[in-house]
Amino acid sequence: MNHTLAEYEPVVGPASIRQLRQLGSRLAGTRLVHVNSTREGGGVAEILGWMVPLMRDIKVDATWEVITGPPRFYEVTKAIHNGLQGLPVRLSDKDWALLRDTNAAWAEQHKQYLKDADVVIIHDPQPAFLVNYCRNGRSKWIWRAHIDISHPYRPVWKNLRGVIEKYDASIFSLNAFAQPLSHSQYLVPPSIDPLSDKNCDLPQSEVRKVCGQIGLDCGRPILLQVSRFDRFKDPLGVIKAYQLVRHVAPVQLVLAGGGAADDPEGNAVYQEVLAAAEGDPDIHVLLLPSDAHRLINALQRVADIILLKSIKEGFGLTVTEAMWKGKPVIGGDTGGIRLQVFNYQTGFLVSTPEGAAHRIRFLLDHRRRLERMGAIAHEFVRENFLLTRHLRDYLTLVFALTNNKAERILYI
Amino acid sequence: MDEFIVKDCLLLTRMSGLPPAFNLRELRDRITACSNDVLHHHFFETSLRTTFDDPEYRNDFAVWAKEKLADRILAERLGIIDPYEIESITLLRQLVLDIIEDRLSELSPWVPAVRPGEEFFFMEAIVIAFETDQRIRRPSELADAIEEMTNGCIFFHFLEALRRPPVHMDDFTAWLQQFGSSGEPFARAISSIDFYFKSLPALRDELSRTLRTVKVAQS
Repeated sequence: MNHTLAEYEPVVGPASIRQLRQLGSRLAGTRLVHVNSTREGGGVAEILGWMVPLMRDIKVDATWEVITGPPRFYEVTKAIHNGLQGLPVRLSDKDWALLRDTNAAWAEQHKQYLKDADVVIIHDPQPAFLVNYCRNGRSKWIWRAHIDISHPYRPVWKNLRGVIEKYDASIFSLNAFAQPLSHSQYLVPPSIDPLSDKNCDLPQSEVRKVCGQIGLDCGRPILLQVSRFDRFKDPLGVIKAYQLVRHVAPVQLVLAGGGAADDPEGNAVYQEVLAAAEGDPDIHVLLLPSDAHRLINALQRVADIILLKSIKEGFGLTVTEAMWKGKPVIGGDTGGIRLQVFNYQTGFLVSTPEGAAHRIRFLLDHRRRLERMGAIAHEFVRENFLLTRHLRDYLTLVFALTNNKAERILYI
Repeated sequence: MDEFIVKDCLLLTRMSGLPPAFNLRELRDRITACSNDVLHHHFFETSLRTTFDDPEYRNDFAVWAKEKLADRILAERLGIIDPYEIESITLLRQLVLDIIEDRLSELSPWVPAVRPGEEFFFMEAIVIAFETDQRIRRPSELADAIEEMTNGCIFFHFLEALRRPPVHMDDFTAWLQQFGSSGEPFARAISSIDFYFKSLPALRDELSRTLRTVKVAQS
């Protein structure tokens, strides 16, 4: 469901909305085209689903196009996606030619449209080659990498780098995710939508109903980890941490996530988690469908402490979601979790199950501090990780690129 | 009397192009070579960035020394630097380099280092500044107006202003001067605030609260 900018005013305050509108008025009529490879499913489609309507709300002439190709195109781009994240993948010259040809054919159909744009934002590698076919002299082309390409499989990056260098700028989520490039590399962290089913306020009755369905005792502390059943999320480490706390506090643990149905590795992890939890009625392992947003929202609201004890992590948006619900987070000391979790402020960074257990005990024993940290976490997200900030960053970048001045401060 | 024209600003960070530093010697070498914009960002722009406002240290080098290098002595020496009291980026750079050189010398031959993933990334930023439609006509309107401002407005008029002529004076104080004795209590109230350790929302609240106290006393 799309929301208008005005609907976000009670959440972020009138000043932020006014700021966006004033910025938008200076960009009114700017033709901005986003291109990605899917209309539904995945984080990029989710972002564009709210960003394009909000850009239009502030009078930017934003549109969203989706590149399409034969089935093999998606297999090749999936392999490239994996290769950029460091997985050794085999791609033939024919595969790269298919990628180029698909981009060229799609460009031919949309040539005039893209040539008329003032700014084109290409999301991820699938449509990256479009820059070869439909650029005009005045438009600005930006490549947005939504994934961590800090340690790519070199043959893949070598093939892609040449085309990425043709862009005017690129965007990464974190500095640690970037690659050295000859153009400016901007940082725009991801964000959450406070009005989405995953993050909106819920009536207490709905939260209580979810507790009843799952069999949680709301009178005892609840620990929660929401993540795919993936070794990098260390669900077995979370169970170990729970077991270390269990003999001193009557805690319950919920491990909720998806990703096992069509993923053999995920299914194996899920089975290991079930085996580790067997015989303990206070461990609840929930395999959820991908649209269980309100249920996850309710679980995050009823939990006392939320964990994401990852060993390797991207940005970790479930950390952001948890903090938005006013909960301190015990997170693995890795990736984007480090940008969000600050010891004694918004939660604790840990490296071992023992460390997680220690911090769980600390928080359960310091209830007022737990609540204060939760409040700090909530405000931290409000200031930094809501979609209004995300939108503001994109608009700032458009200004920066369309005003070709070298000064540090640009007066407009 | 001139109206106060409220301006807003937005900041977007970008990679500086310098390789990250994995140890204290590399940090020194990169600080020697980096542009003024990089130093400016790590000292002056941290409060406007998408980041957690570290309440202990206000510059990124001190935070890194404490959190990643685990060198509290170095963190304390870097953390006490008030960049607004230093005349130029050249002098600021020299001061930072002197502190790091001294520490390297004290620790020699050991060079403190960090694990991959904890390296220092050298960043810079672009700031977009623009006029809003908000105007302030009288000193008594300041408190309410500031309460409505974004973090960008506070940053531009209070912190960024200190580096613009008239140097060491925020825009509110400069504007209040034209009101003579009637503006003086407001200017005095602003100067009583130690802004350096405050986040922008906290600074906005403090400014607004302090100025409101003056307004109430005057009325």
